[in-house]
Amino acid sequence: MDVLFDGLLDAIRLLLSGDQDSWSIIMLTLRVSLTATAIALLIGLPLGATLALARFPGRRMVLAAANTGMGMPPVVVGLFVTVLLWRSGPLGGLELLYTPTAMVIAQAAIATPIVVALVAAALQQVDPDFRVQMQALGATPIRAFAALLGEARLPLLAGAMAAFGAVVSEVGAAQMVGGNLAGQTRVLTTAAVLATSRGQFSLAIAFGMILLLIAFAVNLSLTLMQQRRTVLR
Amino acid sequence: MSDLSTGIGCRDLRVHAGGRELLSAPELHVASGRTLAVLGPNGAGKSTLLRALGLLSSHRVSGQILLDGRPATRSLMRDAIAAVLQRPILRRGTVAANVISGLRFRGMSRREARIRAWPWIEALGLAPLADRDARSLSIGEAQRVSITRALAVGPRVLLLDEPFSGLDSTTRADLLADLRAALTGQPTATILVTHDREEALALAEDTALLIDGRIRQHGPTAQVLDHPSDADTARLLGYTNLLPPALTGRTLTLAARPEHTQLLLDPSDSHAVQTDDVRVVTGTLRRTVALGIATRVDVDTSTGPLTCLHPGDVLTTELPPIGSHVRVRIRHARSLITAD
Repeated sequence: MDVLFDGLLDAIRLLLSGDQDSWSIIMLTLRVSLTATAIALLIGLPLGATLALARFPGRRMVLAAANTGMGMPPVVVGLFVTVLLWRSGPLGGLELLYTPTAMVIAQAAIATPIVVALVAAALQQVDPDFRVQMQALGATPIRAFAALLGEARLPLLAGAMAAFGAVVSEVGAAQMVGGNLAGQTRVLTTAAVLATSRGQFSLAIAFGMILLLIAFAVNLSLTLMQQRRTVLR
Repeated sequence: MSDLSTGIGCRDLRVHAGGRELLSAPELHVASGRTLAVLGPNGAGKSTLLRALGLLSSHRVSGQILLDGRPATRSLMRDAIAAVLQRPILRRGTVAANVISGLRFRGMSRREARIRAWPWIEALGLAPLADRDARSLSIGEAQRVSITRALAVGPRVLLLDEPFSGLDSTTRADLLADLRAALTGQPTATILVTHDREEALALAEDTALLIDGRIRQHGPTAQVLDHPSDADTARLLGYTNLLPPALTGRTLTLAARPEHTQLLLDPSDSHAVQTDDVRVVTGTLRRTVALGIATRVDVDTSTGPLTCLHPGDVLTTELPPIGSHVRVRIRHARSLITAD
């Protein structure tokens, strides 16, 4: 119990002391994971919406692929991104390996299938005639689509939370493509792994607590957005 | 009959899906202030027609849709129409917010929209529910909201896709009356798609019969509902007893309603006299079923079965035993122009 208690104290001390190293790790974690989630939403929303609303050959195959992608191990994604960005790899010339950009790419790749699958599911649970009904009341196709997003707001935001939760907590891809370089690509998960391996349990617990706190803060703001009483008044 | 320069219509309208023609309507028109009922069985293409007319179809549509005498564009149509679909599709939010959503789509502020919509909310009896969450409504209340929402935009074209199906009979009767009252005097061209003759009779001056994607009959409602032209329209209009020439000695097949088809219980019955409007045929009694408000009697004739409907409970002692030779009196039978 002492280890846990010390970890808790350490976490509070780290947060309050304004320790430069810890803050840079926290800020990088937020920056990488939020950017990756934003990119995943940007790609996943139109893709998921197309899968939900359009009918084309192979649609169900793509849906099944997205659903599979939800459970993709981050290590596998990390491996593929590493190979792509490797100096002699197809995108090696960009020299992105072991940079935060590489981590964003890997995490966006992890989060995108989650967003696609959950957006598709969210939009399909609304009445299939919803957009027709809105257009039949004078909405333009774009307004009707916006109304559909508003209608599915709850599950859509749940999708965003799932995507953020998946990337902020993953360690495999961040480690592989970021390299856990101090001051450059070290994030909370990789820092916690390193501290644990060095036997610095209270530091590792401190990082873990901060990670939980960040996840809670982000999800709290999304939940508040989600649970606003009504879209329309 | 109607002024082509107002309302909605179509010319050579065809709808295709998957290489199959779902619908073909050479010409149809509903003037402002009038209501057309499109009556047809399930799968006849009624909703397809309605959506094609409203430029809402997801199928391949060819031909011309006319709005106030001019070819309709999507944006002209958007400004003109409001639709009520079979299932009330409401948005998350209050009843009032749902009612004003059509006006909001047309760019009106929330305040202005509420002021505009309020008389409709009151006219349709929704005022006590205005602040209720739309998800807490019964199906009848939800459909009432859906209808009010459509009326509130003051549409020039109102499309009603079986709005009363799925409602219990009391709710349906109330809503039908309220809609009828709301439409009276409005400059709205209304198209009601339904499979129910009573709805057509209550709401529409004109009726078109749609079967297998084709309009078989079109004219004033009372006229169309009472004069089937072929076996399909006869069945649709409740003239379910078909009497081929072999049975009646007439040149054309006759069709009659079960309620106009009755057993002659007394052999010496003076009703047995055949006149122009009364036919008497013979057959074998197959079964009798007490339905509470009526008694159904099935009779097999030489050319097929007939269904008789006797008002009230007919005492079984009055009826001859199953298998007896009986005479059936048929009134108000209509001659069909084509038998099939």
